[in-house]
Amino acid sequence: MTGSLAATLVRPAMALTTLPAVGAQHAAWLLLAFPAFGAIVLLLGGKRTNAWGHLLGVAMALGAFVVGVLAFVQMLGYPASQRSRDLHLYSWIPVAHFQVSIGLLLDPLSICFVLLITGVGSLIHIYAIGYMSHDPERRRFFGYLNLFITAMLLLVLSDNYVGLYAGWEGVGLASYLLIGFWQYKPSAAVAAKKAFIANRVGDVGLSLAIMAMFATFGSVSFTGVFGAVGGASHGVTTAIGLLLLLGATGKSAQLPLQSWLLDAMEGPTPVSALIHAATMVTAGVYLIVRSAPIFNLAPDARLAVAIVGAVTLLFGAIIGCAKDDIKKALAGSTMSQIGYMMLAAGLGPIGYALAIAHLLAHGFFKAGLFLGAGSIKHSMNDEVDMRRFGGLATVMKITFVTFGFAYLAIIGIPPFSGFFTKDPIIDAAYSRGGVSGALLGTAALLGAGITAFYMTRIMLMTFTGKRRWEDAAHPHEVGPVMTSPMIILAIGSLGAGGFLMISNRLINFLAPVVGTPPLSHGFFTPLSFLSLALVVVGGALAWAMYGRREVPVTAPHGNPITVAARKDLYGDAFNESVLMRPGQWLARLSVFFDNRGVDGLVNTLAATLGGTSGRMRKVQTGFVRSYALSMLVGAVLLIGALLLVRL
Amino acid sequence: MTGSFAALAPVIPTPHIEYGQLSPMLLVFGAAIVGVLVEAFAPRSLRRSLHLALTLGSLAGAFVLTIVIATSSTLFAGGSAGHIAAMGAVAVDRPTLFIQGTILVLAFISVLLIAESSHDVSAFAAQAAAVPGSPEEREGLLAGISHTEVYPLTLFAIGGMLLFPASNDLLTMFVALEVLSLPLYLLSGLARRRRLLSQEAAMKYFLLGAFSSAFFLFGIAMLYGFSGSVKLGAIAAAASGNTASSVLLYAGIALIGVGLLFKIGAVPFQSWKPDVYQGSPTPVTALMASCTLVSAFGALLRVFYVAFGQLTWDWRPAMWAVAIVTMLGGAIIAITQTDVKRLLAYSSIAQAGYILTGVIAATTAGLSSSMFYLAAYGIATIGAFAIVTLIRDPGGEAGHLSSWAGLGKRSPLVAGTFAFFLIAFAGIPLTSGFSSKFAVFQAAAASGGLPLVIIGVISSAIIAFPYVRVIVLMFFSEPAPDGPIVVRPSAYTSLAVGVGVLATLVLGFIPEPLLRLAHDAAAQLFVR
Amino acid sequence: MSPAHYIALAVILFVIGGVGVLVRRNALVVFMCVELMLNAVNLAFIAFARMHGALDGQVIAFFVMVVAAAEVVVGLAILTSIFRTRRSASVDDANLLKY
Repeated sequence: MTGSLAATLVRPAMALTTLPAVGAQHAAWLLLAFPAFGAIVLLLGGKRTNAWGHLLGVAMALGAFVVGVLAFVQMLGYPASQRSRDLHLYSWIPVAHFQVSIGLLLDPLSICFVLLITGVGSLIHIYAIGYMSHDPERRRFFGYLNLFITAMLLLVLSDNYVGLYAGWEGVGLASYLLIGFWQYKPSAAVAAKKAFIANRVGDVGLSLAIMAMFATFGSVSFTGVFGAVGGASHGVTTAIGLLLLLGATGKSAQLPLQSWLLDAMEGPTPVSALIHAATMVTAGVYLIVRSAPIFNLAPDARLAVAIVGAVTLLFGAIIGCAKDDIKKALAGSTMSQIGYMMLAAGLGPIGYALAIAHLLAHGFFKAGLFLGAGSIKHSMNDEVDMRRFGGLATVMKITFVTFGFAYLAIIGIPPFSGFFTKDPIIDAAYSRGGVSGALLGTAALLGAGITAFYMTRIMLMTFTGKRRWEDAAHPHEVGPVMTSPMIILAIGSLGAGGFLMISNRLINFLAPVVGTPPLSHGFFTPLSFLSLALVVVGGALAWAMYGRREVPVTAPHGNPITVAARKDLYGDAFNESVLMRPGQWLARLSVFFDNRGVDGLVNTLAATLGGTSGRMRKVQTGFVRSYALSMLVGAVLLIGALLLVRL
Repeated sequence: MTGSFAALAPVIPTPHIEYGQLSPMLLVFGAAIVGVLVEAFAPRSLRRSLHLALTLGSLAGAFVLTIVIATSSTLFAGGSAGHIAAMGAVAVDRPTLFIQGTILVLAFISVLLIAESSHDVSAFAAQAAAVPGSPEEREGLLAGISHTEVYPLTLFAIGGMLLFPASNDLLTMFVALEVLSLPLYLLSGLARRRRLLSQEAAMKYFLLGAFSSAFFLFGIAMLYGFSGSVKLGAIAAAASGNTASSVLLYAGIALIGVGLLFKIGAVPFQSWKPDVYQGSPTPVTALMASCTLVSAFGALLRVFYVAFGQLTWDWRPAMWAVAIVTMLGGAIIAITQTDVKRLLAYSSIAQAGYILTGVIAATTAGLSSSMFYLAAYGIATIGAFAIVTLIRDPGGEAGHLSSWAGLGKRSPLVAGTFAFFLIAFAGIPLTSGFSSKFAVFQAAAASGGLPLVIIGVISSAIIAFPYVRVIVLMFFSEPAPDGPIVVRPSAYTSLAVGVGVLATLVLGFIPEPLLRLAHDAAAQLFVR
Repeated sequence: MSPAHYIALAVILFVIGGVGVLVRRNALVVFMCVELMLNAVNLAFIAFARMHGALDGQVIAFFVMVVAAAEVVVGLAILTSIFRTRRSASVDDANLLKY
């Protein structure tokens, strides 16, 4: 009954009738067509397109951005209840009475993502012109980036779950190709494989959820599913919700499928910024928020989402504290920030819009952080170890300032973005009430303090203190093609949060899709002062450890917590000892299965499967008589099964 | 006692044969017989081109005739489901015509591969009778000759494949089974390189195939004993009015099932598949993996929908079990395969499991989605095997995966195409693999097979691992210094690969036309 | 004797044939066992024809005999060629394709 209670708290979460798209929105298919065209030309065009390939890639991303802005402006002209517009493209899979049409849904939620993907995406395309300028395969890189933009837009624009799934798999493929882009590095190949496997596990969850929706509601379109979900039993909605959560954990690097994100940093930095920070990894949050009508009726599944988010936000933050590789520290931070979004989404109607607000703000500041890290790496001979940085503030002024803006945004200093988007999440978690509310809220609050610690640590180790550079490194400020995107993102880090949250601008904008939250928030509450105090403590602690003291070039042994955090909190080791050992005797039997990088839950799964496979293939002895025996046994079993049924 | 001679002689009515409706099969069989004559009388220099014209011409002609019959206004007049021709032996209805059309298209493409002769004279032995390593064999190889008997053999097999799913009585079906199998036994032993493997494949295929057809025949005998007829309709009628003596019926169903499941390669009757796929000449493997699979599924669908259609609840549990172990077994064993043809064989086993979920649905949606799956998978699998023929080392095709390492660097187009086929087999959206899997799974889910669908989804997640391993190997590994060469495909192979890629893409992006065709074909199920 | 006894005999012969395929190594004997299975089925057909009082079963037996003859031709060709290569008729010796 809590489900129906939750449903009455909000207006019908989804406007079940969508109007046909007209005007500029009628051309919304161009959003997909532009980057798709770019990807096709760049990937099939071969070396002929080397000279101008990157320009085409940027032009296609910008073109999509322009279309997105036009559609957005048009949407603002409609009254709130008419902002969901459907653009039917064609019938994709018509089976019997069951239709999957490829259609695009332009509504406030999807347009937010369109603007983020194409806007930040275009900036990162421009940045990559400079970053990849020395790479002979730059054209291919832009082809993959365009492919990614196409797939990501398909993911957020589809008006049904199957189209969403198509985009979901597409971004996975693009991510996989881009992580392994520098395939000559063996670590990149292993990382790519790990990402693929983890995502595959998540995808099983999503595809099962879609199948369950079809079996229960007879439809997979958003309108069809959300229209029928009210009649489903509590067990069904909870099961679908949990399956969707499994899908989301894979794509968004949440526990227990988190391990691939750290390894994914093997990819070129623009990829880390675009895919593994700003957009793709937030697809899980999109999935949860988009499925709000299902989660509204499944409080248990929602609680699971919130718990996963809360645990991951602490987990990621602690990992971020100990990593010396700047990109990996930021990856831990990404995990942690997405944990905040998942937590918010798991809080239900009160939190959906907050999750999206934090997601958008995060898109700016995290992309800014990664681009900053990329420009440092670019100018320092691909060095990523922060113990080899230091004192860069004076040599790379623009990078320092833009990075600093993003830093202030992520730790939540007013008036920067994070303050406006993170604190309401903490507030909302406490307002849930009860033990669970207190625990979730405290986790989020603690996370804010730890965030301040690790981000200050990154700032101090990178930009201040003694110069601990390698002899060959000659850091210098990078060119304008790389700095200008960073400057724009820095402005976003400053202004986005306030713009979105003050006077509930985003909340009201999203209300037709995710419902109106039952209460609104002030920003300067006692809780926010407590959170600010924790931020200051975290920052001061970091200063005491890394600012005041000399940072040694080789990592000290450190206390047990640091050691644990350096090893990704033993996430892989735990999986190995609990899940791996029993499977290992099976694994030993496998001859050819690739055992490299057997670490982590997903690889454990792979190893166990490989071991089983190695044993099962021995059944194929090569002796024709044993084949005949298996056939005979099969025949006897079949006869027995048929006769048994009849008895 | 004084009756005239004429009165004593029993009156045997002249059998009525609908030549028009049977024309596709008659054309193929006729061309096969002409092929035998060509082999006997045409000079060696002309044989190959004559055979090729005859084979491709007859397949194309048969396809046109199939379309003519399918669009005939009289055959399906008044909402008729079809017609039973040749005195009740052969059914002509829309699902059969769809399946036959699919077989003809796939056979045409496979024959293109069989005809490939640019990089090794041919994929087929110079003299199958010559002992490997003997002077006779060397002479034959040096002379650059090869068996041209493969063309009429292929045509006979294809004729059998056309008849197999069209058979309306079990005796015709048994004869068709043998007509399609016997030439394939021979063809699989005719590889030009690696003769020992090829001969072994032929022997295994032959012995196990004969073994399974004995089971199939015994099943026919049981059903004949049960119903007094071998006609599918009569068996169905007897089964629905059945009250007692069901042992004969159920044992018969099971044994018929053994014969058919053997042909599609379902676990536990799959063991021939990897060995035979690996040892056979690759063009023949492509033929088996596409056309034979389609034909066997066509026959399976007809028998289980027409003869056992009322007994769905009785055979479903057993078929569920078979589908589950097939999907999981194929996918899991595929993980550790080291030979590309064996990998594709296990992949084919798993795919057979997915199609079985559609068969088990026993609805029009199940029938139409299975047919769509067969067409989409068949065409992609020919393309994949066509790629395999291009990767060669001094011993012939380089089947071992270790020699595929770094192929992406040496020949990005070939490796990329192969990766594309693997992605399609893994069921990634916007390839035909996704739309076809989606169709069968939703048909299964709609008729109460949700657990099957769950297993299917898990299985397709598992089987993505070996595919990814191959892709990683091709693109992320350093090429071996003495790696294989990638030969330049001739027009024949290029056409086969190109059609495969195109169909896989088109059926992924706009599956609607073919799905609708399959749906319309399945609307009235089979004629009874 | 009632036709049911012939059915029982057919089943017994079929099983003997099936077991023979499993236990015999010589390819020719294995093949003969398959033929035994086919002939067991023929016996069943004829017995059933008698039970039903129809001729169909006997006609089917003729068809089966023809098909079996064709199978012999193909089978012997394959077995001969493999024997010439390996100088062995044991089915267990052909064991290159596995796993």
